[in-house]
Amino acid sequence: MLSSTPWKRWLLLAIAVLLVAIYLFPLYWMYVTALKTNTETFANPPTLWPHHAELKVARVWNDMGMGSFIQNSLVIACGTVAIVVLFGTGCAYGLARVRSVWMDVALFMVLMLQVLPPSLLITPIFVAFSQLGLLSWPRTGTILATAANKLPLYIVLVRAAFTQVPRELEEAALVDGNSRIGAFLSISVPLARNGILVSAILIFLQALGEYVYSRSLITDRAYQPATVGLQFFVGPNASDWTGIMTFAAIYVTPILIIFVLAQRRIVSGLTSGALK
Amino acid sequence: MLRFNRVFRDGGGFDGALVLLALAYLVAFSAFPLIYNLVISFQSVDLFTIATFDRPFVGLENYRDIVNDPLFWPVVRNTILFVGLSVVFQLGIGLALALFFRLDFPGSTWLRGLFLAGWIMPGLVVGAIWGWLLAGDFGVVNWLIQSLGLTQQKIFWLSDPSISIYSVIIANIWLGVPFNMILLSVGLAAIPADVYEAAELDGASRLQRFFTITLPMMRAQLGAVISLGIIFTLQQFDLFAALTQGGPSNASNVLQYWSWELAFREYRIGHGSVVSVFMIIVVIFVATAYVRSTRHEHVV
Repeated sequence: MLSSTPWKRWLLLAIAVLLVAIYLFPLYWMYVTALKTNTETFANPPTLWPHHAELKVARVWNDMGMGSFIQNSLVIACGTVAIVVLFGTGCAYGLARVRSVWMDVALFMVLMLQVLPPSLLITPIFVAFSQLGLLSWPRTGTILATAANKLPLYIVLVRAAFTQVPRELEEAALVDGNSRIGAFLSISVPLARNGILVSAILIFLQALGEYVYSRSLITDRAYQPATVGLQFFVGPNASDWTGIMTFAAIYVTPILIIFVLAQRRIVSGLTSGALK
Repeated sequence: MLRFNRVFRDGGGFDGALVLLALAYLVAFSAFPLIYNLVISFQSVDLFTIATFDRPFVGLENYRDIVNDPLFWPVVRNTILFVGLSVVFQLGIGLALALFFRLDFPGSTWLRGLFLAGWIMPGLVVGAIWGWLLAGDFGVVNWLIQSLGLTQQKIFWLSDPSISIYSVIIANIWLGVPFNMILLSVGLAAIPADVYEAAELDGASRLQRFFTITLPMMRAQLGAVISLGIIFTLQQFDLFAALTQGGPSNASNVLQYWSWELAFREYRIGHGSVVSVFMIIVVIFVATAYVRSTRHEHVV
């Protein structure tokens, strides 16, 4: 944008790398601590690089019972994405296609529901679910509640993707004798598939990190996700920091890998929602 | 059947049905709990009456109990402190970074995107990492400020009642900076370059250009980002669960965490609902301002 001389550009690059390094230091510290031995973790002064690196993945995985935690996280995230995509895609399409007062009201409602804090809704949800007997299926209950929380964001993002699909293509399909559903599924959805995919990935990553609903609705350890499992080990009196950081590293590494792979698309998806 | 086909298979009813389907889901699992929360706040609810439908109504008694609770005002003060400091620093740092990454150098977009790695992390993991960074005896932050000579004693970030709230604020600022930066970058990119060129030709300095062009043209964007910052900060729960759990002895408790503790730790469900009602009123107020400020450019 603003043009500058070559050496100045490299100086700026160096500063930028430094800024990123400072910002991402907590992540670096998580990985370094996970690789350190217990004595080295508590060394003073702290070592910036593990001198006797050891991988404790298997020990932590077994001792902290991560298998069931991760499995539950995946079940909850997949269930949430399924509901969100099923209900949200059509709604986003409708909101993108039709301009009317009623659609404006609907969009306003979606935007308002997007901002409701889960920690404030969980009390009435808990009471209602216990009255309905839904607490006997705690993971299902968590999925239903989490999906309602993520649905508005998905609708807003996918709506932006649908507004970029030219209406004419769809009208041509209708002239050719397609039904509305046919045109929607065979023209609009395939053309908006990138936006749908990126939004679904984003919802999936967010649902993997869901905490409040799982913590409140799931009391049986066998059904709790990794966030609740991790919370069990941290807190003001935590001491096994190598173990905790290993747990955290195992848990977030896949999330970070997916994010780095889809980074460009996620960023442009987020910002196109802002420009449209 | 023909009529059904005309409206839903071929007509505008199709869009309406799709939208209504999702709205029905949202009403059932988001809007209904909102109303139900209000009902519960007027009832006496404990573990024995939770599963029944006829619970005694107690009028405003729950509200009186909460406002007269000795914790109420300290927790309100903490909430204001938490939101105020978080939003100011997230916005300030976010804007500075957005301005910097707008400069012309190789890899600027890619490097800027890396910041979002912080934003995508589960709040609980971020809390766990900051808990370790800020640990009293072996935390690297204490080591750093001691070796820079800023303090002699170790700071007990998580267990000192006068400081614990700031540890959560620091973690929350870290978490919120990337989102602020990306949204502000979008706003900056929308300012046409020729405006700056014209000002430069007229001899406006960098600082003058910032105050006379950048800030005024970013007004809508800044309004949206501030409202979203307040909303996300009021949503923040995971960091409290991971870092201080509102402690020590409620010194770092905020309304959203207190509400949950009342309902799920002390089983004072009616009281928890009252705190939720207060918070939801604030959130709806801010959200209305946000939606209005972005009527034409629906920011995420």
